[in-house]
Amino acid sequence: MSVPSPARSRGREGASASSGRVLPFPVTGQELVLLGVIAALWLVLGLATPAFLTSGSLVPLLVSTAPIALVGLGVTVVIISGGIDVSVGSIVMVCAAVTATAMTAGDVPLVLALLLSVAVGGALGLVNGVLVAYGRVHAIIITFGTLNIFRYVGLQVFDGSTVDGIPATLAVFGRGEAGRTAGVPHSFLLVVILALAAWVALRHTAGGRHYYAIGGDAHAARLAGVAVRPRVLLAYVLTGLLTGLAACFVIAQGTSTLAPNVGLGLELSAIAAVVIGGTSITGGRGSVLGTVLGALLVQTVASGIIQLGWPSQLSSLFIGVFIIVAVGVDLLRQRGRSSS
Amino acid sequence: MTTTRYLTRAAVLAAIALTASACGQGSGGSAPAGGGGESGGSGGSDSYTVAFVPKLQGVPYFEAMNTGGEAACEELGCEWLYQGPVEADAAAQSDIVRSFIQQGVDALVVAPNDPDSIAPLLQQAADAGIAVATSDTDAPGSAREVFVSQASTQGIGEGLTDALLEGMGGSGQYAIVSCGETAQNLNAWIEVQREYTASEYPDAEIVDVVYAGEDQARATQLATDLLNANPELTGLVGECTSSAPGVAQAVRDAGRIGEVSTVGLGTPQSMLPYLEDGSSSAAILWDVEALGYLTAYAGVQLASGEGFGDISAVTDQVPDATYDKAEQTLLLGPPLRITADNAGDYDY
Repeated sequence: MSVPSPARSRGREGASASSGRVLPFPVTGQELVLLGVIAALWLVLGLATPAFLTSGSLVPLLVSTAPIALVGLGVTVVIISGGIDVSVGSIVMVCAAVTATAMTAGDVPLVLALLLSVAVGGALGLVNGVLVAYGRVHAIIITFGTLNIFRYVGLQVFDGSTVDGIPATLAVFGRGEAGRTAGVPHSFLLVVILALAAWVALRHTAGGRHYYAIGGDAHAARLAGVAVRPRVLLAYVLTGLLTGLAACFVIAQGTSTLAPNVGLGLELSAIAAVVIGGTSITGGRGSVLGTVLGALLVQTVASGIIQLGWPSQLSSLFIGVFIIVAVGVDLLRQRGRSSS
Repeated sequence: MTTTRYLTRAAVLAAIALTASACGQGSGGSAPAGGGGESGGSGGSDSYTVAFVPKLQGVPYFEAMNTGGEAACEELGCEWLYQGPVEADAAAQSDIVRSFIQQGVDALVVAPNDPDSIAPLLQQAADAGIAVATSDTDAPGSAREVFVSQASTQGIGEGLTDALLEGMGGSGQYAIVSCGETAQNLNAWIEVQREYTASEYPDAEIVDVVYAGEDQARATQLATDLLNANPELTGLVGECTSSAPGVAQAVRDAGRIGEVSTVGLGTPQSMLPYLEDGSSSAAILWDVEALGYLTAYAGVQLASGEGFGDISAVTDQVPDATYDKAEQTLLLGPPLRITADNAGDYDY
């Protein structure tokens, strides 16, 4: 309804970013709590199980955290902007199917495989972004639609079969010996680097702060001169690109066969990591570091339960409790803020 | 302002809940292919319509059954209809079964996702004069006239145990990575594995059974966790087609090929790389195309009312098939043991 405002205000916003602006505290309470909980869990599990704190256990744990955390990074930005993307599981499916098919068809070098997967992810993210930014329908409806459409596309790529005999090109991101340097798994290291970059961008650049403004109140942000639609579009494209990279991680840590159910339900794991990480599901507040910690907590619990010899079903129970506690804490905080 | 915020929040949360449940439901409700419109149970027709509803469509296992069924109908002169949900979902499967009942097919064969919820529908089909059977997974106590069984529960459980313990040298600790917690056939096999291990291999012990759903990556991670949790572990079983390569991958990634043996119910093509490098000693399965063949044959025999008095008619394709009248079960034969030597012979 209102025309995006002139460049004058955008220039002002840019100027203020470099001046002594009041920034929120570098880490939120939720992140510190998560760090504490994870540290305590690791300590307890290290004492209670024979091998939890050995590299044979920690490396696979970090590797299995990587794809969820990576998808979670993109989803965090989307949720901060007041949207949501539930199609990421299907994007993983399409990217993994296309990439694995290409790898079995010919001798595809590592860089090309990565580029292919990331490009496909970016294209699908662009579809989401255009529809959400310019469609005037809530993101959950749009991405719920594309979830099913992408899934259909993926099933066509699989063509009623599995992709068998995938070569080990992507093993540099896997669980095995090739997936680590000096004991550090490449996939998780890459996630940490990307998360730090996203953290800096969201906190210290004008463009990054705009996402918080849009999520807080899109109308007010537009009046203040934020180019809302291009920003929102970018968030979904970014999510698509990151999800494309995550699909390579998924291929790397799977078996040499890719089945059509790949990525199924991954959107829920990613959203769980985001919510447990302290990002407000209604937008306007959140942190990518929290998301990485949230993903790590979920995987720690899942692994820990098995290593303790407890029934594997218990992990569903714990993840559910974590989500509700995290959302409850968020609501309490919000209430506290609005009453003060 | 506050109101709209709360409304948005409610909408978003509701929508997430919707997505979560919708994921389970899947988009599998699509109606069966409209082909074969003239089918109606006209008794004089010499071409019977046999409809098979798999647990889900688009996975190699059921596609191979479809191939076998098509081949059978070409030989036996029946019309083969194949339609299943996109995900292994009971409600979507029921819709497809209903639609086949309405089409009035001559024989309806189902591999039920949920035996309890499919039973009333099978009764409905039987009441409508349709010959009803189950294949791959049974619905005990339902109206089905025959269950086409891929292998006996005993055969699978013992086959898995023997193959694993051969690799483990007859003793030691092992664990099982299963899939769906409520899958009746998997649980029955595990029960046999427990009993058979206890009676035949007193020095061997099952230390844990964990459930990975149908998720390969989760199966691999669970197997890794089991290896870490039990330093004495020298064997792993992948109980379904997604966890069989998963447990082998975990052993390969941990660099413990030769120390830890694995076996599983895997399809030949997916197991081939693991059989070759020794991270898997053997896969136990059955000839899936032959199972599809036998399924189509069962449909025709029921629809024509000829029954299974003389099953020598199919002995070319399924030479070991037997019919158990008391259990109303058509059994394909003993399970296959797939190794590096014969895995290449199968194209699924």
